[in-house]
Amino acid sequence: MSQDVTKEAPALPAPAPPVERSRRLLTRGTALLRWLGALIAGLVVFGAFVLANGADPFAVYADIWTSTLTQPGQFQQIVLRAAPIALAGLAVVVPARAGLVNVGGEGQLIIGAVAAAGVALWLTPVASPWLVMLLMVVAAVVAGAAWAGIAAAMRLVVKVNEAVTTLLLNYVALYSMLFLILGPWKDPAALGQSTSVELHDAMKLPVFAGTAIHVGVVLAVVAAGAVWFALTRTTWGFRLSVVGGNAEAARRAGLPVVTLLLTALLIGGALAGLAGFIQLAGMEYKLRPTFGLTIGYVAFLASWLSRHKPLPLLVASLVLAAIAVSGNSLQIGSGLPAASVNILMGLVLLAVLGWTSPRKVRS
Amino acid sequence: MTTDAVARARGRVGKPAALLEVRSLSKRFGEVQANWDVDLTVLPGTVHGLIGENGAGKSTLLKMIYGVYTPDEGRMFVDGAPVSPGSPADARALGIGMVFQDLRLVPALTVAENIALALPDGPTLRLARLAARITEASEAYGLAVDPSAQVRHLSIGERQRAEILKVLMTGARLVILDEPTSVLAPQEVEALFGVVAQLRDRGLGVVLVTHKLGEVRAIADQVTVLRGGQVILNAEDPGNFSDAELVEAMVGRRVPPLAVERVAVPPRERAVLELRGATALGDRGHVALKGVDLDVHPGELVGVAGVAGSGQKELCEVALGLRPVTSGSVRVDDTGGGAVAVPEDPVADSVVPGLTVLEHMVLDGRAVPRRGLGIDWPAVGARTAVLDERVGLHMAPTKRTLSSLSGGNIQRVVLTRELGQDASLVVAAYPSRGLDVANTRRTQELLLQHRARGAGVLMVSEDLDELIAVADRIAVMHDGHLVGVVDTAGADRMSIGRLMLGGVA
Amino acid sequence: MIIDILAGAVRGGTSIMYAGLGETISERGGVINLGTEGAMLLGALGGYAVTAETGNPWLGVLGGALAGALLSLTHAVLVVSRRANQFASGLTLYFLALGVTALFGVGYVSRQINAFTPVPVPGLSEIPGLGPILFDHDPLVYLAYVAAPVIWWVLFRTRVGLLVRTAGERTEALEVHGYSVKAVRYCATVAGGALAGIGGAHISIAYANSWFENMIAGRGFIAVALVIFAMWNPIRIMAGAYLFGAALSLASVLQTSGIAVNQFALNAVPFVLTLVVLAVLGRRTMLAAPDELLKVFDNSRTT
Repeated sequence: MSQDVTKEAPALPAPAPPVERSRRLLTRGTALLRWLGALIAGLVVFGAFVLANGADPFAVYADIWTSTLTQPGQFQQIVLRAAPIALAGLAVVVPARAGLVNVGGEGQLIIGAVAAAGVALWLTPVASPWLVMLLMVVAAVVAGAAWAGIAAAMRLVVKVNEAVTTLLLNYVALYSMLFLILGPWKDPAALGQSTSVELHDAMKLPVFAGTAIHVGVVLAVVAAGAVWFALTRTTWGFRLSVVGGNAEAARRAGLPVVTLLLTALLIGGALAGLAGFIQLAGMEYKLRPTFGLTIGYVAFLASWLSRHKPLPLLVASLVLAAIAVSGNSLQIGSGLPAASVNILMGLVLLAVLGWTSPRKVRS
Repeated sequence: MTTDAVARARGRVGKPAALLEVRSLSKRFGEVQANWDVDLTVLPGTVHGLIGENGAGKSTLLKMIYGVYTPDEGRMFVDGAPVSPGSPADARALGIGMVFQDLRLVPALTVAENIALALPDGPTLRLARLAARITEASEAYGLAVDPSAQVRHLSIGERQRAEILKVLMTGARLVILDEPTSVLAPQEVEALFGVVAQLRDRGLGVVLVTHKLGEVRAIADQVTVLRGGQVILNAEDPGNFSDAELVEAMVGRRVPPLAVERVAVPPRERAVLELRGATALGDRGHVALKGVDLDVHPGELVGVAGVAGSGQKELCEVALGLRPVTSGSVRVDDTGGGAVAVPEDPVADSVVPGLTVLEHMVLDGRAVPRRGLGIDWPAVGARTAVLDERVGLHMAPTKRTLSSLSGGNIQRVVLTRELGQDASLVVAAYPSRGLDVANTRRTQELLLQHRARGAGVLMVSEDLDELIAVADRIAVMHDGHLVGVVDTAGADRMSIGRLMLGGVA
Repeated sequence: MIIDILAGAVRGGTSIMYAGLGETISERGGVINLGTEGAMLLGALGGYAVTAETGNPWLGVLGGALAGALLSLTHAVLVVSRRANQFASGLTLYFLALGVTALFGVGYVSRQINAFTPVPVPGLSEIPGLGPILFDHDPLVYLAYVAAPVIWWVLFRTRVGLLVRTAGERTEALEVHGYSVKAVRYCATVAGGALAGIGGAHISIAYANSWFENMIAGRGFIAVALVIFAMWNPIRIMAGAYLFGAALSLASVLQTSGIAVNQFALNAVPFVLTLVVLAVLGRRTMLAAPDELLKVFDNSRTT
């Protein structure tokens, strides 16, 4: 009786073929090849765009190569860029496990940074530096989570999809920050571009001796490890994947679906808020109109590139950070706008979305 | 009378060209030989019963005739001319129409819009003109339906009439009805058969797919039996066979009747499930359950009958605490191990496609064996092996993901997990859906074992014969109301059917 | 001042209306396109560039429509043929459009064009109040008056519209009648992108009469949200779009009348307004969502 199991046609479209242990290495190999293929395809199409714009793609690539990868210190720049991307990417990974699409990393990051900057602004004169720093972290995490919490509440109470609301909240966060730095928080000493007052040196993240790498990088790696452990090794992670796979099944199994969805999105927001904190205290030191620009969106791409797996996410963040850093040299070297490299990032993810085995929609 | 009909059909055309003739059709899906050397001949002016178990190859055969699948081997003829329909559109052009079991209507559209989808004429819909045509056709065939009604608001019977009308209005001469009666009350079945008889008398050919012998006897002129993808009986007169012979042809072995002897369980005062005036909303916000009073006692199996969508789903969910009542009360006595449930639609409500069978075994609401912060999977595996052995439904290997399993195998996973536990209340909606005869029988035995153990069992089924065979009492639902509770001893199908339609027993 | 705000609402809401109408078609067919923002960006640059090169704003509209259609075609390939996640694909395309318009837009920043100018409708524009609000605008505004009812008629009274709606409600019903769900969805998505492109072009060649990086500033995302509380109905889109136009025009009208309000607080108004309306109406309007679209929305159901 049990052998007829293999004979019947599946009743459900397969979201992924059953992976047997022996085949796992092979699938990993082909996944890597596809990844490389996607990267190359992205480079080729981007080259065509550059060419269409009247620049020599080979010269541009050579430029990117020499300025980004062969200059000393540039690798550190890439790592520094990658850290907030990885944290904000984890903010996509955790909700994705529960079937939620968090496109609000951009806004959650900004709000986190705004909260941290606010704490620094008010408490620096009155409290000890370590306490201020601690409260900055707490404020960033809470603010990021609260910002995501608005979308979570709308999803759970009003049933409006979180992708739409988190996108709208990004703009509200951005304009709130602009309101502050062009209004009440404006640094009177700032020349040209309006910014907030720079953090006191004691509130800047300490760096490792002899490098530019600050402790925020360690924080990002630790967070990725923690998320990996929580998702794959804990009951909570398992429950989250049940909710993500079929929330009704989870509900009937007696799982606290609402709590799980809420925690997934809140933890995501908290991680993005943390990204805002390290971007503020480790990189930019003040809020400015371009603060954290596109980190949230790049992180979204990174999460999808890594198929929402925390450890590959670190690699994806490094690759995208490298592309972002090369954008600066592009502007200096070839006179192309820095945002041009968004094309390259977009193309790589498009290729990955289009080429890797289709994840079928549940019918 | 049935032989008369064949003679009449033959007599009318002299030597009749078969409306549809299928010769030696074979179809393979990977390892599975779904159809092997199948012949089927449908004459104009006849009703042809096609019977067989789940998985006998009926739907594969129909889909080849309807152009959904291409046969690996074999030939098809319509009016004696060789054809090979490559799509449903081809099949319709040949005059073949199909009424699918789950119907192909769009709930959000009106009847007229649904029919317009099937009638490709003109770039604009001209709904008023179409409505007039629909009314005309519905009068001609005796299929009353309101063209401007949104399908979502129609009963199952009305939807089926709309679908049949749609098929007829596209000019079908051969109408295939795929298990049309499974969702209907007996009176609706009679009305449907009235329509079928009328179609036959107009010279159309009708293929009626069913697994109920009574229906074959009631309406079919000829019967073809499929088993394991092969034809066992070919276009025979059903009058020449006894029920036992037909069942044996379908199943391939004699099925012993379910033991009628039941252990009488001493009645207890306190019910395991007690509903008082339970009222609840459905998914679309309408009142789906209306003031239901029902007790299920320990050692009692209560069946729930009703036309599909009469509130059975909401009744189960209210009993399980999955759906809040807007008024009234629900009380479950869970001193004996709580409740277990077989959901109405396991694929939608119980299955996480990407997870394995093993991972599904912890989704039963019980305490999960822990190890540190995670789950002790080896312990779950050991527990599952014991469960599978005891239940005896032979689940798929525990490493398989659910997305790779067929509907029947998914049902066995859910049944094993749920019915393998001791519980004070068992709520089983359509437990034998997708199962073959042997596993259906095993499932019924399991439910009776729960009853014998002293659990209260609430079982929803669309098969009245099954309910009458297994249940102690049958609660009949109509339009959200519990319209009557019938004692199974001495119950008859027609009076239950009247209740299902909202009448008085 | 009320008249200024209302006239500004009509002018400012027009681009959102085009995008919202496009997204309505796409979502009625079962495809949500967050790339609408990107299609508007491409439409804005495409429209501006073609107008600058040819001197003819009508060719600019065509160019904008083509640019938007092209981006949405990519979306259709990914989500219809390759079954990629609709949100991920849409957002990636937005990001791509951000880069593409930055790269190709550099040369058009601060370049002068022969933009659309207001064409007062003879007679009607003389009506006190109503005239300046409704009948003293560029031609694309008038075209939008017609577009909404026409798209309603196409969706609800023609065979093509029936096919689109069926693709968004129940794909089996389309397949059983011999239609290709993929073909219908491709057409709906591309048509939606073309309309979004026209909306973008309206901003660059009729509203702002200039091109600058990321000039759409979230209007496309508002359009996507608008579709939800307009219950996938073109006529309601019209009303909703003008509401947001009013929120948008509030800032400029207040500034020109010399009332000191922080500009960024005002910029946030349309987004906050959208969120508030969604919070108030969302639960009810989601009941009208096409069934196939609900499957996209509810990868984890919470009912």
